[in-house]
Amino acid sequence: MTTFLDLLLGDTLTRLVFLPAAACLPLLLLPKGNAKVAKFYALLVSLLELGLGIAYVAARWVPGGGFPLLRDVAQGSGVGNPPGLPWIGAYGIRYDLAIDGISMPLALLTLLLLPIVFLVSWKGIEKHWRSFTAAFLLLTTGILGALFAYDLFVFYMFWEVMLIPMYLIIGIWGGERRVYAAVKFFLFTMAGSLLMLVAILWLAFTYKSLAGVWSFAYQDLLRLDLPLTTQCWLFAAFALAFAIKVPMFPVHTWLPDAHVEAPTGGSVILAGILLKLGTYGFLRFALPLFPQASVKAQPWLVGLALIGILYGALVAWVQVDMKKLVAYSSIAHLGFVMLGLLAFDLVAWQGALLQMVNHGISTGALFMLVGMLYDRRHTKKFDEFGGLAAVIPIFSFWLVFSTLASVGLPALNGFAGEFLILLGSYRTLPWATVAATFGVVLAAVYLLKMLYLTLWGPLTKEENKSLKDLSWREMFALLPLGVLMLWIGIAPGTFLAPSRPALESLLGDFHARVAETAPDEPTLRALAPILIAKPNPAAETATSQDGEGR
Amino acid sequence: MNAHDLASLTPEIILAGGGVLLLLLEALLPSLRRAFTGIALVVVAAAVWGFQSVPSGASNLGALDWNGPVRAFAFAVLLSTGICLLASQGYLRREKILSGEYHALLLWSACGALLLLRATELLTIFLALELLSICLYALAAYHRRIAIGTEAAIKYFLMGAFVSAFVLLGIALLYGETGSTRLDQIGAAFALSEKFPIIPSLGLALVLAGFAFKMSLVPFHAWSPDTYQGAPSPFVAFLSVAPKVASAMVFIRLLQVAVANPEMIGRWSGIVAFLSVASMIVGNLLALVQRDIKRMLAYSGIAHMGYLLLALVVPGANSIGPVAVYLLSYVLMTSGAFAVVTLLYARAGEQHQISELSGLGFRYPLLGGCLAIFMLSLGGIPPTFGFFGKYVVFMNAVTDGRWGLAIVGVLASLVGVFYYLRIVYTLYMKPESRLAAETSSGLLIDGWGRAAAILAAVGILAFGVWPTRLLEWVLGSPWAP
Repeated sequence: MTTFLDLLLGDTLTRLVFLPAAACLPLLLLPKGNAKVAKFYALLVSLLELGLGIAYVAARWVPGGGFPLLRDVAQGSGVGNPPGLPWIGAYGIRYDLAIDGISMPLALLTLLLLPIVFLVSWKGIEKHWRSFTAAFLLLTTGILGALFAYDLFVFYMFWEVMLIPMYLIIGIWGGERRVYAAVKFFLFTMAGSLLMLVAILWLAFTYKSLAGVWSFAYQDLLRLDLPLTTQCWLFAAFALAFAIKVPMFPVHTWLPDAHVEAPTGGSVILAGILLKLGTYGFLRFALPLFPQASVKAQPWLVGLALIGILYGALVAWVQVDMKKLVAYSSIAHLGFVMLGLLAFDLVAWQGALLQMVNHGISTGALFMLVGMLYDRRHTKKFDEFGGLAAVIPIFSFWLVFSTLASVGLPALNGFAGEFLILLGSYRTLPWATVAATFGVVLAAVYLLKMLYLTLWGPLTKEENKSLKDLSWREMFALLPLGVLMLWIGIAPGTFLAPSRPALESLLGDFHARVAETAPDEPTLRALAPILIAKPNPAAETATSQDGEGR
Repeated sequence: MNAHDLASLTPEIILAGGGVLLLLLEALLPSLRRAFTGIALVVVAAAVWGFQSVPSGASNLGALDWNGPVRAFAFAVLLSTGICLLASQGYLRREKILSGEYHALLLWSACGALLLLRATELLTIFLALELLSICLYALAAYHRRIAIGTEAAIKYFLMGAFVSAFVLLGIALLYGETGSTRLDQIGAAFALSEKFPIIPSLGLALVLAGFAFKMSLVPFHAWSPDTYQGAPSPFVAFLSVAPKVASAMVFIRLLQVAVANPEMIGRWSGIVAFLSVASMIVGNLLALVQRDIKRMLAYSGIAHMGYLLLALVVPGANSIGPVAVYLLSYVLMTSGAFAVVTLLYARAGEQHQISELSGLGFRYPLLGGCLAIFMLSLGGIPPTFGFFGKYVVFMNAVTDGRWGLAIVGVLASLVGVFYYLRIVYTLYMKPESRLAAETSSGLLIDGWGRAAAILAAVGILAFGVWPTRLLEWVLGSPWAP
């Protein structure tokens, strides 16, 4: 019998999830006034975590095939012996973590961004480094847990765990209107997630009344066939929670405030990972659990995604603040991801998943660059800059590079993602795709405007003439992101292959269920095929070894 | 009285005896005063240890009861007594009122609360209620030099005495109509009556109202904010939880009597649902506008009792487990919060403005962190015990088919998050005020007080992450809702 402690000490997802949280405890022992020790400690822990994550994935990598579905505790996938450890037995809640091709890229991106966040915050964060470190480590635990959770109750717990650290990060280390931004962020997210909790309880309760036992397990709840009206209500609750996180128009208003007020590191994680959890939630939970309702809601959500793309782009165009421009560009970019997801097409889904990662990389880099400029000049307004290319060439190179990646220049990462989304969506949503293409053009307009206003033109301000170029530390933080931008752009196939089987089976199941009509009364289906289907034999042995190994 | 009955009273005897011992020590060896907290804690621990010698089932001619859930309730009472004692020492020393009477009264009121939650007979209930209440009145007025404290105690006393009269009248009506003071026999009489039993129902309603007063349910809540505000802060860590825990048990017992006649379930459900919704709404809305942290916590306590009643809207055998879990979480977070309030506010006789906490989260990382955990737990945010308590209670309402009530509860707790969060942001996001810097010179933060905060905070996090064993322990066996 595996125990939680075994999992924690073994080479498992559990260790990846809880190592950051456990690493908060020694922080209490570190000397109070000495920020340097805390900084190095934070960097060390985050690099260790990154190393463990890469080792975990590399050990289970199947060359040429898809990344398999791996569980921490895999014993018995049949009925009566569900995977995972019993956690709250009375309600059938099981601690069940699993990784597959969909969560793996996002998890790796999280781990990669963590040390980068500490590097870019090195100088910018002046107070309370120990608490700063603790907040980010706890945040990482919440993110990874939410990505790996295969039990909806556990997912909800981790989803909420992300909330408090981010609230503190914005509220303590943020800009002038930080408290307003932090409270707004908190209340928006909390309101959405409470409704989601009610929907989760409803699902579990329906399962209990049909199957006779409580269960919150993903594979159990997927077996529920619900009447269309019920589906629509529950889908609405899930969709609202995730749409707030994405954020989709019209519940996006917390995002510009949160981004502008958050410290650089907070913005990087917020844009890089937290927003993706909204789209991930759609892909993993909202769409597969309520297929008929998703199809029914498709026109509305596509409309909102399009508004997001165009509105985000237009608003970004008129910004006078660099950070706000990047924040609104996030709304537009995430609109593309949502469009891809709502196309219910394999190519579009692949593009959407790739674009989630891409956006994390390139927008993360842009927020870091804005932050670096802010560290030097303590302003983010365009009219304070101009002609910087001559003064700080390395910075300018990185800004141009990241911007072009974000715009979607071929041979850089943004192009691959956007192209696949548009290609896939065109098959099922031709008109919406045509409209979205204007968003690509607009993205070029506002992002190049940012370049023009900061880097080129006359060097008017006296203060800008003595700006220091990027330090080694800053370049070191940007380098991995730059490599990835180029790599994904040149060889997107390498990054698409691992997640393809997972997406394929999810989509196959989705279409199969849409083809049926929704029943009049809730019923239970046979075990959902997407969770029994094994991508390939190699993966199967890996999974069983996983179960026996510890 | 035989040996069986005597063994059954072990915890109460230990507590009462400990109180007498402390009173004697105060008279004979006043130089030992600094050790009184330790002695009282040992007495409380001994009482907890004494639980195991209590035989299960009825004892003392059927006046007292003991089983798994009762043990959980009793443990909650003694837990709050322990936290209160830990928080008290520093306060009493700072205010120069350290003496044996305080500890003795506290132990006796814990004894009263224990008897109250075990009592299954109306006169025992009344006697235990008076033992509890009279000690509470005295403790509320314990800080004699403070005008606001005396005012609080008098308000509490007048209303409490009035309520006692109502309870007695209710008992008289019940006895007069059914011929018994034992709850099981009254229940049997209810079950037998063919038409609606008007007089006994009236009696039951009067007794219930008395305990609704002790639980500070709307509309019987008006005393609690005033009393909490004026009473000594460490004592409020006891006052705000222990009487509620004991009264909740009596409330459950009385409701079980009431629904013995199946035709009356609907009526009593309606009454409990009204009390619950009114408490959730009024408590949360009034807490929003409070500037004084003790008043805010008082209103939050009212709201929490409203959440608690969600599990009792359809009273049944399943209701008691969620209530016990909820109360344990409520004890940890509310007692813990008052313990921190005791330590972080220097002037006992004045208002405890929330704004005085500005920036203290970084000046006192440990206490600030604990208070933040208590607030998040009160707000029901995972992974804290408070979330789990709310979860089991809401889930109970859902399994009873009360979706509407559960959704009202969820929305009410969203309102709650707003004011709990205000404490967190005052602690961490506001610059430290000059007032706070001045005040902090008068603080006395001792190890005992820190221990109280840490104990409660660790409990909240531990049970928030791993509540399984607790559930099994509470009900004595694996529990299925």
